[in-house]
Amino acid sequence: MSTESADSIRTRARSTVDWLVSHVQFVTTDTPALAGFTILVGFVFLGLFGPVIAPYDPIRASVQNAQGTILRLHPPTLRAPFGTTAYGKDVFSQFLAGARPTLIVGLVGGVATGGIGFLVGLVSGYFGGWVDETLMRLTDLTFSLPFMPMALLLLTFIQPNIWIITLIIAAFLWKMPARVIRSEVLSASERTFVKSARASGAGHLRTMFVHVAPNVLPIAFLYTAYGVAWSIAAQASLAFLGFGDPTTTSWGRMLRQVFASGSIRVAWWWVIPPALGIAAVTTSVFLVGRAYEEVINPEIDDQ
Amino acid sequence: MSQFQRFLAKRIAIAAGLTLVAVSVIFFTLRLLPGSPFTQLVASGNLSEQQVNDIMALYGLNQPLLDQYVIYLKNLVTFQFGYSIRQSRPVWEILGPKLFNTLILLVPALVTTAVLSTLLGMYAGWNRGSWLETGSIVTTTFLRSTPVFITALLVIIVFSYNLELFPAFGMREITASPSGFTDTYLSLDFAYHYILPFTVAVLYYSGDFLLLARNGIIEKKGSEFLKLHRAKGLTETEQLMRAGRNSLLPVLTYFALRLGMIFQGLILLEVVFGWPGIGRQLVTSISQQDFPVVQAAVFLMALAVIVMNLVADVMSAYFDPSVSAGGGS
Amino acid sequence: MSLLEIEDLTVTYGTDDVRVHAVNGVSFDVEKGVNYGLAGESGSGKSTAAEAILGLLPGNGRVDGGSVRFKGQDLLELSAEERRDVLWEEIAYIPQSAMDALDPVMTCGAQIRQAIQKHRNVTDAKARERIRELFDIVGLDPDRINEYPHEFSGGMRQRVTIAMALALEPDLIVADEPTTGLDVVVQDKIIDQILDIQERIDSSLLLITHEIGVIAETCDELSILYGGTVMEQGSVDNVLVNPTHPYTMGLKNSFPEVEQLSDDPVAIPGSPPSLGAPPTGCVFADRCPFETEECTAETPPTVDLPNRNHRSACHHTEQAAQMRRDAADPETWGVDPSDEDASATSDEEILRVDDLQKWYTTSQPLLDQLRGEDPPKVKAVDGVSFSLHHSEILGVAGESGCGKSTLGETVAMLEEPTGGDIVFDGKSVEEYKRGGMKEFRRNAQIIFQDPFDSLNPRQTVRQLVTEPLRIHGIAEDRQEEKAAETLERVGLTPAEEFLDDYPHELSGGQRQRVAIARALVLDPDFLVCDEPASMLDVSLKVNLLNLLRDLADESDIGIIYISHDLASLSQVSDRLAIMYLGRIVELGETARIVDDPKHPYTSALLSAAPEKDPTSDRERVLLDGEPPDPVDIPNGCAFAPRCPEASAECRETEPTLDEAGDDAHSAACYFPVDGTSHDTGESGSLSSTTADD
Repeated sequence: MSTESADSIRTRARSTVDWLVSHVQFVTTDTPALAGFTILVGFVFLGLFGPVIAPYDPIRASVQNAQGTILRLHPPTLRAPFGTTAYGKDVFSQFLAGARPTLIVGLVGGVATGGIGFLVGLVSGYFGGWVDETLMRLTDLTFSLPFMPMALLLLTFIQPNIWIITLIIAAFLWKMPARVIRSEVLSASERTFVKSARASGAGHLRTMFVHVAPNVLPIAFLYTAYGVAWSIAAQASLAFLGFGDPTTTSWGRMLRQVFASGSIRVAWWWVIPPALGIAAVTTSVFLVGRAYEEVINPEIDDQ
Repeated sequence: MSQFQRFLAKRIAIAAGLTLVAVSVIFFTLRLLPGSPFTQLVASGNLSEQQVNDIMALYGLNQPLLDQYVIYLKNLVTFQFGYSIRQSRPVWEILGPKLFNTLILLVPALVTTAVLSTLLGMYAGWNRGSWLETGSIVTTTFLRSTPVFITALLVIIVFSYNLELFPAFGMREITASPSGFTDTYLSLDFAYHYILPFTVAVLYYSGDFLLLARNGIIEKKGSEFLKLHRAKGLTETEQLMRAGRNSLLPVLTYFALRLGMIFQGLILLEVVFGWPGIGRQLVTSISQQDFPVVQAAVFLMALAVIVMNLVADVMSAYFDPSVSAGGGS
Repeated sequence: MSLLEIEDLTVTYGTDDVRVHAVNGVSFDVEKGVNYGLAGESGSGKSTAAEAILGLLPGNGRVDGGSVRFKGQDLLELSAEERRDVLWEEIAYIPQSAMDALDPVMTCGAQIRQAIQKHRNVTDAKARERIRELFDIVGLDPDRINEYPHEFSGGMRQRVTIAMALALEPDLIVADEPTTGLDVVVQDKIIDQILDIQERIDSSLLLITHEIGVIAETCDELSILYGGTVMEQGSVDNVLVNPTHPYTMGLKNSFPEVEQLSDDPVAIPGSPPSLGAPPTGCVFADRCPFETEECTAETPPTVDLPNRNHRSACHHTEQAAQMRRDAADPETWGVDPSDEDASATSDEEILRVDDLQKWYTTSQPLLDQLRGEDPPKVKAVDGVSFSLHHSEILGVAGESGCGKSTLGETVAMLEEPTGGDIVFDGKSVEEYKRGGMKEFRRNAQIIFQDPFDSLNPRQTVRQLVTEPLRIHGIAEDRQEEKAAETLERVGLTPAEEFLDDYPHELSGGQRQRVAIARALVLDPDFLVCDEPASMLDVSLKVNLLNLLRDLADESDIGIIYISHDLASLSQVSDRLAIMYLGRIVELGETARIVDDPKHPYTSALLSAAPEKDPTSDRERVLLDGEPPDPVDIPNGCAFAPRCPEASAECRETEPTLDEAGDDAHSAACYFPVDGTSHDTGESGSLSSTTADD
């Protein structure tokens, strides 16, 4: 008995690994996705260790030359490889430190978006009827309320911090995965094995989570990934408009400072790192996501 | 009543209900949040007692919340948006021209990109695996997933500050003071300021249309009916046109949805380019806490989305011969 | 010179690394005015060959060798443009799935007009005239040319494609499974139509199908394909009557037929070759009971048999007569002959259905709702009564839309009945619903149609088969053992080899067995099988039928077997129920219904099934029209509008099942068909027709 269950655990582990491998393998066959994946790995590294390896404190320390004068709006030099800001801060250090809030908002916002969307879509599609009607009207409502203005409004009353921002983002973005997952659940529920599960006496919870949910999970993963990119873009946009967390250095806030200070006319070195940082991360997420979509969507899969 | 009319009636009822809920959310967000702007404004002491009383009366601020709500709804139904607190002008006088500026920028951009990107996407889908397909997907993915203000900043740095080809800011020269429609919108100066934001908008919107069209074509490419078309002796181009016609509906629907979202403007694009559109106005009004303007602007945006959602729904039902208008059997 | 000469055609699919060798050196000739059949199971390469001829191979398919000469010209060497000129003008095509083959956003008329105007300079008005004429020829209403495909039924859509193929009076029509997925009555009409038209315009026909019966009835010559290779070819009379290749023998024996109740169909064991590499030796060798060393070592050449139009690719053709005798014996194929007499149906009733109704409400206008009008009802099942005993298989037959699947799901309580009663094991379902549903679910199981969709793709076989045990908390300590036992019972031996597989790693037949094991693991008393074999190849189908028969005989299970395929039904069932529009029109012992159908509808159904013996001459009974919309069923007998016998009485009051016959065989008809056998032509009073309809 015990050996049997150990065996079955081993097989299950093996099959889980196989499943994971089969779901990650697509990255190696698709060049853009591989590039995106590499960038993301670098980004996660920056998010984890960026603040530690930053040569200067991004906000407090100023870059000085040998004579001790503060270097303001200085192009890249040895002391400051990405140049300095109008306030004499090191752009490189700010860039490194700014990766972390971007990563946090992206991950938490993405997972919350995907998670809420998955649950709403699953319940809505599985039960149908008035449950479906109610939940779908709710998504219609979040579609009709413009995200950016509503977020700005809320953030004028509430002191922005990274968690509030993430919360607002997730509260507006869950509708996207919810709709898609609902329609996937609708078609998955039509499939014979769901009927067959009911015929063998399975209850709603079992049918929903054991039989329907695993078959829409890939789509949920996909939209979680997209959620990460949306959250990062939304957070950067809010920060750019001056509604970011004022206490942390983020890429969006760096861009706000360069734009608001008018230094954008000259200080390209101050713009490029955060701008390309955001663009590279969001694009990478989508490139990997697209490739994954090709794998899981049988309709655009190879004939 | 035909089935289609019934479907239409149901959709309109839902849209009306949604609008009501949306405006209510806006109302209560503005009143219930801590440090409500109206009380702040009144408490700030900048206004004379007379002005305070006028404002209180106009919005019914001295009445219970529920009565305020009713007054608010009444005003909306009659499109009376009231007066701007900051500018002491009717709200519509402020928002109208801004909305027009936004539409004149974004509607042509959306139409342009819808046509060009869809065609390109169809071609890319038909030639699946070609460098053109991969290239166009990577490019548009970059353009679509990068926040629009970043693209705009990069474009400005390259084309305005370095190449100095186009102006970076505004809709006209600061010195220009055009009068009348023709002078404002049909001048060379306007076109000169128009090009960069227009291009960025076109690029930003291109990704969705391209992918939608491409996926549609790929789905149709292996279909039985195309095989029959091929057997009939149709040329490649003719087959592509048939596949395109068959995947057009999602593109059209998406176009309608996007058109609704346009009323929100592209806030960040307008901010970066200093384009005097509704989105930029909204940001300004929010930071100035000019709430009648905010209220009206958000209402207009929500209404546009709801209406265009309705249009998209009805359009799919109407134009798809194989889907019954009842939304299923 | 023949019209079409295929020589040594070789086609592969796939990527550069992995190529599937779908067609491996196929040769055959189609003479002018001849009907040529291309037969084979799925994966035999028959459709690929047709696509290669037409130049319709998908992007990853490639012709690697051989020639396709049409009127002496090699089609494979034509430029794309030259080929387009030949297509339709000279070679037309009737596609496989009529449901999806028409452009959904183009009217049917416009699609035909496109075919005409693509090749000929014709004005719109002229084209329109021609289209109306074509619609009339294929039996469609000419006034409907401006309707979209979705406004037509499946059979009618297939007629549109036939009209299209006919439009330019081509010299060759390639029909790829033109009747697959259509009901037997409709199928019969479509085949009839194709033959009639093809005679009219004197074209040749290349018919691709897996149904030997259809070829036997319609074609002059045929090739039998297996693993992308021709097994046997020649005149239909020679090949099908005196096959010389073991595969042909096996294929022929595995075809169930309504007529021959006595001989059980025999399945070919094993599964088709994988074709990952070009075959060396005979592709059929590993499933062939007559296999010798020579067979695996060397590919047998296609040799002419003396004195007749007959070629065979077997090393042992000289022993053909002996092989034919051996092949008829199931033991040759490693199948144990089942004991015919074990099937003593017990007297004990497991299920009784009384006046069962399942009506669906359709949506209706708000105004009508307010006026309190009753919404229109779809009467999917309307007053059905029958009983089922232990060890008995009751076959339920009918065309699609007759309500047979709804009936199955309602008696399995997956659908709530709207009227009548179901008594299961002596207890009404009303009682089960008051808290005993689990008990009901444990004892009543259902098996669904599609083996590719009836198993959760994310569960292993172990999880799939033990899940019902977990749900019902049965055999908690020995679930695995129980699962293995059940798997072996349904023929998946040894079970250990399958337990860790996911459904996609199994073949279609194996999946359906897992689905059955899932149903059987709870030791139910009652099983509903809803078209369990309809998507399986013929040899697998036979396996499944034999398995169900054994289950009923040995495990005392009562089975309801639902299918549109009367031939398999009559093989497996003890009794038959024929359904039409939600009602049972005839019910009785299988042998009596098959030999002596009382209801005109049953008679028509029976006569529509094709026969595999080309020498027998079948009388077609072509029914008028199609079943009416179940929303508005006419008063009186539902079949009356299509019935040649109908009188005023039929249209006024509805006959009940006790109108004709006795306890063992009853029919709901005022004017039961008279006569002992339906195919002797004595059913005469029915309008027998071959052409117009």
